[in-house]
Amino acid sequence: MSETVIRVGAAPPVLRGSADFLDGERAVVQRAQFRIRETPDGPVLEIRPPEAPPLYWPLGALRALPDQAGDDMLVLAPAEGGAARLLLRDAEARAVISARCPDLTRRPPPRLQGRLIAWALAAVGSVALIVFLLVPALADRLADLLPPEGERALGDVTYRQIRSAFSEDGLEPLPVCTGAAGLAALEAMQARIAGPVELPHPLRLEVLDHPMNNAFALPGGRIVLFRGLIEQVASPEEVAAVLAHEIGHVAGRDPTRGALRAAGSVGVVGLILGDFAGGALVQLLIGRLIEAGYSQAAEAAADDFAHRTLAAAGVRPSVLADIFVRLRVEGGDAPGIAAHFMDHPALLERIAAARRADWLLRSPLRPVLEPAEWAALRRICR
Amino acid sequence: MEPGELQTEYVGRRGRLFGLALRTSLMTVLSLGLYRFWMKTRLRRFYWSAIRPGGHPLEYVGLPMEKLLGFLIAVVFLAFYIGIANLALMFVSLSLFGTSLWATALSFLGILPVLFYARYRARRYILARTRWRGIGFGLEPAAWGYAWRALAHWAVTILSLGLLWPRMTFWLEKYRTDRTWFGNARMHQGGRWQMLYRPFLVFLISLFGTAVVIAVAVASVPAGTVVPVGAGPLFGLAAVSVVACGFMHYRIQAFRLLTEHKRLGGLGFRARPRLWRVLRIYLFGYGLAGLAMLALGLALAIAVAIPFAGVPGIVPPGSPGEDPFAIASALPLWVSLALGAGAYFTLFVMWSVLRQVFVTLPLARHYAETLEIRNAGALSRLGRRAGEDAGHAEGFAEALDVEAAL
Repeated sequence: MSETVIRVGAAPPVLRGSADFLDGERAVVQRAQFRIRETPDGPVLEIRPPEAPPLYWPLGALRALPDQAGDDMLVLAPAEGGAARLLLRDAEARAVISARCPDLTRRPPPRLQGRLIAWALAAVGSVALIVFLLVPALADRLADLLPPEGERALGDVTYRQIRSAFSEDGLEPLPVCTGAAGLAALEAMQARIAGPVELPHPLRLEVLDHPMNNAFALPGGRIVLFRGLIEQVASPEEVAAVLAHEIGHVAGRDPTRGALRAAGSVGVVGLILGDFAGGALVQLLIGRLIEAGYSQAAEAAADDFAHRTLAAAGVRPSVLADIFVRLRVEGGDAPGIAAHFMDHPALLERIAAARRADWLLRSPLRPVLEPAEWAALRRICR
Repeated sequence: MEPGELQTEYVGRRGRLFGLALRTSLMTVLSLGLYRFWMKTRLRRFYWSAIRPGGHPLEYVGLPMEKLLGFLIAVVFLAFYIGIANLALMFVSLSLFGTSLWATALSFLGILPVLFYARYRARRYILARTRWRGIGFGLEPAAWGYAWRALAHWAVTILSLGLLWPRMTFWLEKYRTDRTWFGNARMHQGGRWQMLYRPFLVFLISLFGTAVVIAVAVASVPAGTVVPVGAGPLFGLAAVSVVACGFMHYRIQAFRLLTEHKRLGGLGFRARPRLWRVLRIYLFGYGLAGLAMLALGLALAIAVAIPFAGVPGIVPPGSPGEDPFAIASALPLWVSLALGAGAYFTLFVMWSVLRQVFVTLPLARHYAETLEIRNAGALSRLGRRAGEDAGHAEGFAEALDVEAAL
């Protein structure tokens, strides 16, 4: 160390004192003398422990430990690493060090980058392989092997989940609508639409008391309509069209596939997201996104089924298009994320397909319900 | 030179923790969870540095990047297990038993050994990243040994109807402690498992006493008596509180006894956590956090409602104006989604922040301030362990979130 230092301008403040020093070798706290020395290579913190040779830490390469709880102490460490520490308590010394060390709070350069990228790619690949290939392939195969009782049990579980997920107070499950005349009308509609069709399960059709404009097919032949749907459509034919579409899902056993896929995928998605914000809700949304992504081909098949069934029952297949148009208006013109959450992507294509399907109609048009029956169905939840 | 006993200071302040936890939680939400590795690191630096045995702070030297790496490695392996196993279990359970309940139970059982494994690994990672007086801690690699022992102890405990719980507490703690190092010194868990029965007896008495009181009360009320509304739930709450107190007593006393029977290269320890203090922290902490949440929830509800109240045309004709769901359903879907998600994340983040500020920090303070190191002169013989290495990744724990249990 050179003793000759040429200073220009005012001399920097002289700093000396004593502080607790940890050498990283022994679990002993040493009371060390320290001072700042000006050298040709820049200022240096000189630390003199009582029983060891002095250390020289350049001020430019000095770091303070971040996120410390106590503001009465500055824990200093050399930038190149190592376990040696100087524990500075003296307020004046802390102020001088903070003023004179330019990179005191600079973070160490990131390490592990190569491995991180390799494993990130591996993780993305493995998750994509599982969620988009393995689980769907396995779910499709298993759905065909599942005995009918198992499918119905799966449907019952999903049904309970829907009733509690949409529950308005979060305690009581969503009530089932039981207006007697309304149920009779619903039965008449079901007989008219699904009467002649062969299905893997007998249908179990129910209306739940919720204002949302929505309907689901569940595994094992369950179909759920929300009150909001019945109240917001313009005619019984539109309800029949939705019903025919959902029966199409039952015929294709889509809900069973979807539920099995969800059983495999949701856990994986949860694994990735961790518990960063009440994982359950986020997983529910993501699960929905995955399912909506899955079902595009299935939706087209269910539409196709609906066109044929409606035509055979004497209902215009293009009624389905009327409903989609309304869905699109209500969903705003947000084709991106909102379309996914509506469960019915690629709506324009489907509208066109439903309009083209009117040629299937062979028998004369007949109303699905008498006006009195329709009125009763609209009051089914009262 | 060293005084015989070292007291532990605690310097963590609620305000500083609040700021740190709030900032890092918001970053985590905004980054869709990616920042959680940084959040966890920064919060640990805070919590560690707040504890100062003998006036010198603990140091947490873990890095966010290595947590991320461990997590990615865990995802590669666990994604297969979780995806395929859950699907297969669901199928088997549905086709054999006609219900999905078995799938849930079996998948929980299947993940249990991994959970114990992960817990040990997480402890190993954390100890390897903890320093005091410039010297690092460590835990020997023995995670699978721990996992099967933990499974066996749980099985024995369940078969003994819980009566052998203290045996499990002791032997699992001994397994971990005897593999723990501070620098070049190995920790040793002394004592016997039977010593935990005194506090456990208090728990058993609270349990059976409550059961007897309930039985007597139910039997002594003549059939047909009109029980006042709310008496049942109130009685139930009192019963649960008594049993919970009994269990907390056991947990605290077991911690005290186990700590006082630990040795580390001539060092001894004394822990004096107090039941009433801990109960008070839980009660007031959760009470305060709950009140704050209630206030925040109200403020949010008002903030969301005000812009729409009295705006003509937003409430559709024919729907009852006072129905809040009518307002919600009249908005475009993406607006209600965004509002809902915003409110949800605000509440979620605030709850986790408030819980740390009002519960975690006071508990850490109490446990720290009641911890003493005895025979501190022995520290002069302790030093760095040759070839000290940490190994990376508490990844499995990160992925399975067993953190809460630690």
